[in-house]
Amino acid sequence: MSSRQPRILICGNLVWAHEEARQLFSGLADIVVMNSPNRADFLAGLKTGGKYDGVVGVYRHNSSADRIGVFDEEIIDALAETGTVKWIAHNGAGYDQIDVSRCANKGNCTHMSCIRGLLPNKLTSTLGINVSNTPGAVDDATATTALYLVISCLRNYAWAEQTLRQGVFKEGVNPGRAHDVTGRTLGILGLGGIGLRLAHLVHAFPMRVIYYSRNKSANAPEWCEYVDSLEKLCRESDVLSLHVPLRAETVHLVGEKEIRAMKKGSIIVNTARGKVIDEEAMIRALADGHLSSVGLDVYPNEPLVNPRLLEFPQNVLLPHMGTENQDSQRHMEVRALTNLRDFLRDGQGNDLIPELRSKL
Amino acid sequence: MLPRVLLCGEVEYVQDELEEMFQGIAEVVHLVSGSRSHFLSSFGPGGPYEGTVAVYRRNASSEVIGKFDAPLIHALADMSMVRWIAHNGSGYDEIDVQACKERGIMVSNTPRANEDATATATLYLMLSCLRHFSMAERSLRSGTWKKPYNAAQVHDVTGRTLGILGLGGIGLRFAHLAHAFPMRIIYFSRRKAESAPDWCEYVSSIEELCKQADVLSVHIPLNQSTVGTIGEKEIRTLQRGSILLNTSRGRIVNQEAVIRALEDGHLSSVGLDVYPDEPRVDPRLLTFPRCTLLPHVGGESAEAWRSRELKALGNLRAFLLGGVGDNIVAELKAEIGNLTTL
Repeated sequence: MSSRQPRILICGNLVWAHEEARQLFSGLADIVVMNSPNRADFLAGLKTGGKYDGVVGVYRHNSSADRIGVFDEEIIDALAETGTVKWIAHNGAGYDQIDVSRCANKGNCTHMSCIRGLLPNKLTSTLGINVSNTPGAVDDATATTALYLVISCLRNYAWAEQTLRQGVFKEGVNPGRAHDVTGRTLGILGLGGIGLRLAHLVHAFPMRVIYYSRNKSANAPEWCEYVDSLEKLCRESDVLSLHVPLRAETVHLVGEKEIRAMKKGSIIVNTARGKVIDEEAMIRALADGHLSSVGLDVYPNEPLVNPRLLEFPQNVLLPHMGTENQDSQRHMEVRALTNLRDFLRDGQGNDLIPELRSKL
Repeated sequence: MLPRVLLCGEVEYVQDELEEMFQGIAEVVHLVSGSRSHFLSSFGPGGPYEGTVAVYRRNASSEVIGKFDAPLIHALADMSMVRWIAHNGSGYDEIDVQACKERGIMVSNTPRANEDATATATLYLMLSCLRHFSMAERSLRSGTWKKPYNAAQVHDVTGRTLGILGLGGIGLRFAHLAHAFPMRIIYFSRRKAESAPDWCEYVSSIEELCKQADVLSVHIPLNQSTVGTIGEKEIRTLQRGSILLNTSRGRIVNQEAVIRALEDGHLSSVGLDVYPDEPRVDPRLLTFPRCTLLPHVGGESAEAWRSRELKALGNLRAFLLGGVGDNIVAELKAEIGNLTTL
């Protein structure tokens, strides 16, 4: 029986929080960095006697998918097979790269005494794997990205800058197509942390803010008007901004019907996930002018971007920049590592994802 | 016969209102000149602008007849009955107001009509520079996704210090939008603004403004005393890695000093909507990938256009009806008593 500390695995590079990582896990766990160049090597490493043997928790970043792929059924099963891995601390608000229902199906027990029972040497195949994400840490940076897209689409700034860089200084850009932000209606689909933060930023102009969520939000300010259907949200918005997670039920949530319910000349902004919109329907609406422009930070199949989107100079297209800055990235790393530390120390991380909370 | 008003530059968004506003009050004539010399010789008997007492002016007209500099103003004074120039725009640096003062011609502009639109443009430039968004868009459109991007040099907006030079209508509006994050807001003006909110901290000099700001934004008018206000000294007083924004007028900032600072990285980027010699843009600016460069579209929204046109025409109409219009420019406010009335 080994007397070594439990091990945690860093799956996807830590960029900022090396010092914080050392401090958080000092005396609690050894840090092992995942260095597998491909999935086969990773899976081999998880087996008994392999280089990742004894890992009880995993810090995961989407960048690891470049080498070992997403945390699909195969990887979740392999993690569960170890008998020791019980927590995946995901760095990111969106965790669609993790098959969380597979994690849940592995049985689930988050009761404190059950958790204590899984310190390294106990093999308890009836226990499942819990997953945490990093909500909140992404709100400011993502909402700021959405704000940029809203302003740029309304005012045609991307197009204007293109003309300058092409040497024609705003020729061809019709000022009549550009509109003030103030007084326009922003429709928010999903008033979670990011949606609420965006609402706050546009309220400074002010824009009129309406929203639709599965449930009316208890902490929404009174100037956030609830509408009771997605269709109504579409009908009344000048700009529709998406802030829902990607799940089976949200794929193509905004499709032909919803887009056509919007007013002619409307704008869609998406900083959530590409697959929430039916891209073909969106492109048709751009082609016939029903949508005046779209502002996107995400695409169905990143880093591939449908070349048709580039045919419209008025589109504002960012390469998934939502949280790409030093301050937010550091914050997110620390939050994910803290969830992992809390699991080790107290049996549970703070940001357990909603799908797994109901099991308590 | 009705007096005439001359449109030096077309009215584009409020043509219906234009007709209504001057019905029975003045005859509206349009600029038909292809050159300055034709323009100046057309106010006499039999000329197309005979009988014109007031002019509506847009900067775009300078492409054909040149700016309203001293020679043009003197010629107008000598050869026409024009006594009011209603400028469409907040910045009136293309009109020599000193010459107007000497010759008894009044000038109005359209303050506040641009405030929201221009402040919004400034906010956009700031977000783009802090977060490298413009560069990222270009990277995507050229097929490299986000390849040259380095998150290490990129920062959140919240918590950073915004330094505003000139807390007038536009500066204050921009401060308000930035305050939503919040950013720390500091400002310098010739006079401390009495009505500034308490979260706008006054600093006592441009030097102090530059020392403390992460982002410096220019919101002062261009005139003889403000040319080059932000020069080598001020730029070098900014912390290394700072960002400079200009949505006022290009010549307020020393462009050579800016380019040197971009070359050696002292400025991490600039966000510009204005240039010293529009529509020409110094090609060196395009070689710094992190910059965000707009082609003077700060006031370019359908709503701002309507607002400016209505305001300028309203100033004109007030002059025709009562001998004096609204929104007289600051330099000429004291001259009201000396007006030559109709």
